[in-house]
Amino acid sequence: MKKTNEKTIKKSGLGAKASRRLGNAVIYVILILITIIWLFPFVGITLESFKVDVRGMDGRFWPGEFGFDNYIRLFKETDFFNWFKNTAIMGVATAVLQTFFVLSMSYVLSRLRFKGRKGLMNLMLILGMFPGFLTMILIYKVFSDFGLTMEMAPLGLIIVYCASSGMGYYVSKGFFDTIPKSLDEAARVDGATRWQVFRKVIMPLSKPIIIYTVLMGFMAPWGDFMLASYIIHENSAGMSVAVGMYEWLSKTMVNTNYTMFCAAGVIVAIPVVAVFLALQKYYVEGVTGGAVKG
Amino acid sequence: MKRLNDLEYLKLNKFDAFLYKLKLFFCAIPLWFKSLGLAIVNFFKTCGLAIKNEFVDIGTTFKKGNWAVKLSFFIFGVGNLYYGQILRGILFLLFEIVFIGYMLVPSGGIYWLSKGNWFQTGATIGTVQGRFEYDPIYDTDVWVTGDDSVKVMLYGLLTIIFIIAFIYTWRLQVKQCKICIDITAKGKKVKSGKDDLKSLLDDQFHKTLLSLPLFGIMAFTVLPIIYMVLVAFTSYDAAHDGYSNLFSWVGFEHFNELFNFGKGGLGLAFGEILSWTLMWAFFATFSNYFLGMFVAIMINKKGIKIKKFWRTVLVMTIAIPQFVSLLYVSKLFDSSGIIGKLLGQIPAISEYLSANHFISLWDSPIVAKILVIVINIWVGIPYIMLMATGILMNIPADLYESSRIDGASPWQQYSKITLPYMMFVMGPYLLTSFVGNLNNFNVIYLLTGGNPLNTAIGTAGGASVGHTDLLITWLFKMTLGSSESKYYMASLIGICVFLVVAVLSLIVYNVIPSTRNEEDYK
Amino acid sequence: MATVKLTNVKKIYGKDTVAVQDFNLDIADKEFIVFVGPSGCGKSTTLRMIAGLEDISEGTIEIDGVVVNDLQPRDRDIAMVFQNYALYPHLTVFENMAFSLRLKKVPQDEVYDKVTKAAEILGITEYLTRKPRALSGGQRQRVAIGRAMVRDSKVFLMDEPLSNLDAKLRNQMRAEIILLRQKIDTTFVYVTHDQTEAMTLGDRIVIMKDGFIMQVGTPTEVFDMPDNLFVAEFIGAPKMNTFKTNLVLEDGKYYVTPYGAKIEVTGAKADMLKEKNVQSGEIILGVRPEHFTLSDANNPAAIPCKIKVNEMMGSELHLHVVEDNGDKLIVRIPTIALDDDQRKALVYDSTIYVTFEGKVMHFFDPETEKNLLV
Repeated sequence: MKKTNEKTIKKSGLGAKASRRLGNAVIYVILILITIIWLFPFVGITLESFKVDVRGMDGRFWPGEFGFDNYIRLFKETDFFNWFKNTAIMGVATAVLQTFFVLSMSYVLSRLRFKGRKGLMNLMLILGMFPGFLTMILIYKVFSDFGLTMEMAPLGLIIVYCASSGMGYYVSKGFFDTIPKSLDEAARVDGATRWQVFRKVIMPLSKPIIIYTVLMGFMAPWGDFMLASYIIHENSAGMSVAVGMYEWLSKTMVNTNYTMFCAAGVIVAIPVVAVFLALQKYYVEGVTGGAVKG
Repeated sequence: MKRLNDLEYLKLNKFDAFLYKLKLFFCAIPLWFKSLGLAIVNFFKTCGLAIKNEFVDIGTTFKKGNWAVKLSFFIFGVGNLYYGQILRGILFLLFEIVFIGYMLVPSGGIYWLSKGNWFQTGATIGTVQGRFEYDPIYDTDVWVTGDDSVKVMLYGLLTIIFIIAFIYTWRLQVKQCKICIDITAKGKKVKSGKDDLKSLLDDQFHKTLLSLPLFGIMAFTVLPIIYMVLVAFTSYDAAHDGYSNLFSWVGFEHFNELFNFGKGGLGLAFGEILSWTLMWAFFATFSNYFLGMFVAIMINKKGIKIKKFWRTVLVMTIAIPQFVSLLYVSKLFDSSGIIGKLLGQIPAISEYLSANHFISLWDSPIVAKILVIVINIWVGIPYIMLMATGILMNIPADLYESSRIDGASPWQQYSKITLPYMMFVMGPYLLTSFVGNLNNFNVIYLLTGGNPLNTAIGTAGGASVGHTDLLITWLFKMTLGSSESKYYMASLIGICVFLVVAVLSLIVYNVIPSTRNEEDYK
Repeated sequence: MATVKLTNVKKIYGKDTVAVQDFNLDIADKEFIVFVGPSGCGKSTTLRMIAGLEDISEGTIEIDGVVVNDLQPRDRDIAMVFQNYALYPHLTVFENMAFSLRLKKVPQDEVYDKVTKAAEILGITEYLTRKPRALSGGQRQRVAIGRAMVRDSKVFLMDEPLSNLDAKLRNQMRAEIILLRQKIDTTFVYVTHDQTEAMTLGDRIVIMKDGFIMQVGTPTEVFDMPDNLFVAEFIGAPKMNTFKTNLVLEDGKYYVTPYGAKIEVTGAKADMLKEKNVQSGEIILGVRPEHFTLSDANNPAAIPCKIKVNEMMGSELHLHVVEDNGDKLIVRIPTIALDDDQRKALVYDSTIYVTFEGKVMHFFDPETEKNLLV
């Protein structure tokens, strides 16, 4: 009796440890596979951009010959620098304005109580159910009258990106909701106006969400294709990288411009990835906060 | 149906309990409609009452008020000026002057309103058609500009909004007269302009902060949406662009076109695209959700090292602009792309392709559909992984410890603790994510452009219909400004998207508990 | 240093959820008033209305004779301590305490003097440069109090300031607040759900339930002469035993007949009954646990009961007993009154006989639940 007991205990003990090890090994294999799959395109595009011997797609992973030809062509033969500059300007402007709009809206909805607050939130919820693109038809018409679709297109796009950005208040409202209300109350009893509460108490505590909002604003123009391609006239001086580079992959141009597209892609990715990875912590906070708050 | 009390319910086995709940759900449907009906009736009742109260209030203000108050029924702000609210008085007065000025000047409000032929089916929007006329000086036909329907509608709409604002402001200043009367009757002082300005940083701070964002939303979302909803009732398309050809009001004609499944109708195309859109959104959302969560659980498992590295690898996908990564990936699967070429060497695949006369994987409808869903997993997992990580860290560890003592296996822990917890917390997110996928322009348009073409349908609504087209990409193509563009149809489809999203949201909102407790987290 | 006067104050949420009903109270200058009651009774809402953090639905609140209904909190000259301290996490202790002075643009010298003085009184001088998160609960509470102290405001409001502390620290802080009060000598309004805090701190106690004031009085008054059943049961721990019984008037003497026993009412209470000319009838009788004594079967005034729980508290025993009808009573007996054998006999299900004296009972009307003697 005693013997069997010992035996079973020993066996299950060993089994648990071994199975955990096996489980971890399987997980490592999966994670390594994931890493390969996820990094493959990035490595691929970088290698592609160094190809000298071909300009189109040749189906090879490794370049036959390495060189910076594509990068040189990019700045010598195309308008890429201009597009890049346009997009960078849009990124910075959007980051500033959008942060102001989003934070104002979310602060008000989170901290202040006033007549029509619920109604306003419901209105924005309903508006958000319309495909936002629908508004572009009219906006494009009006913008083209004001010349905001040609050289001035970046200005037009900044307006498009920022004007309604107040509707995306959810994540930052979620953040503000977590700051205890009694802080506001204590400050108000201490003699602060609402403005002083905002500036001296809430804003200093909101660094993570401010950075998150700035980051999102900065990245928006880099990734946007839909609105940009709708607003910007092709071949105008106001093009953004997305609109310009999309052309290179069209059926007629892909055979001569593919590797250059990859080079441009690398250049576009570098500033965004750099900013992003530097501020990754805040991004993660924002995203996870958003999930918990809905 | 007999309702069970709690103890009776607990007695049921799992299957019976499920049946019971199902029955309850269906029995509740008539009640929903009843309460909906009641709510509507109540709404109108309260509205009626509110309107009545407004009129009574206006009446008493007029009766009680002195000459200044009575005068301010016609000249804005006089009442405020009389009671010493100089700033408000001047602003009100200015508003009225601007309004009347705008309405009366040539090509002002009245001009635009009169041009619109509002909602008269068959009538053009704008009255003067632009045309070529012989010009003796140049000895050729030159273009004589007429009205532009787009502008007539836009300015008409703006004028209507202005009129509503005018009525609202009138009511506002009458109300303020009443407040002034009441305050002075109590022997107190009314607020001065200085008080008003001060309060903008204090108890009226929300107005200060909201003014700009709300203006943006009104001008760039609300106004265009109202406008586009109106467009659905007009004949606005490439041939009738409003400038070279006026477009006109057509009533509900296009609704018939959209839901006509016969020849010349869009029913078939719409049905197909809508069903693929829903299918896509479903697969895209849930594949990401479960796989993302799975990856998060793996990375966060105890004993797995360099967690930060695994996370950063995934997060890279978020950082790189989508048009770069997606366009590149789409080319990877092309016939001459790295992966496409590799896969093409597998006999089964190459046979399949050549048997159907497909050049690349993207030419096969079914493969293209699968590919976009799979590539979307590549795009979407990192977001879910990040969120799930945050939530996983929030699940109290003692839940796992106690369940282990109770004898739960890892799988049971996952299905009985992790999953329900996640479901509860991420419920609202799943909905937003589903809606986001319904409108996921980037992934579809950059990967396939909606292709391969649906040869059975060809073009519909002035845009080619592809097998992977979503409503949003179809809508996009429809309005690209080609000679085929049908703006009215785009607007109709937009309305349909809205309806789909609204209905879904309503259902989900009623089913998921965690969407309702905004204040619970405070 | 100011009077506070609440006249017919009402708080209504939404359309018809009434949180505070017709609240009338005069708070004298330098008085320490405690609002006490179970959660949801409206005590915090009332305090927040005084502070200006909640709108006043009806009625008026005056501070020093000035109606403050329409004033912002910052214009009311009040200081407030919050339950969860509400310290600004991004500011040091010094800046936390100086916050209100900074808003008023007080010169640095004066800020320094005031803050260090307050810090010294509270014993937190060494933490002045720290951030709140580096402090313990008790220290944070002191900072919160210090922040209120530097204001030199007319009224000092405290919203359950001790309820986030553990039991030991709470007792210590309670004693410190009593000391503090002598040092800062202003009008206090203190909210708590803990009757011990209310009894020990308050000059007067306002006991509330469901938005109504149940009684206002000094600690002695509310303990000795509770206006109604609710106050009787709320004040005092363990709570007062109350049970239905009959009051009998025989030959000019009053008796109560709980559970078959017959006990004569004596002392002041008997005189008061006579004075009020109370007749025989059913009443609710209240007897505090400490007024029970052990007795034996021969005593006609003894009530037999069975012991269910015996809690040994050290200096006293709390016996939870069940009377034959199933009524539960709590009896509190000083340990010193029992010898070892007696103590050992008090085990589960053993029968004991308890009684109480005729001068310590409280009589309540069974319908209105009001004290018959008030």
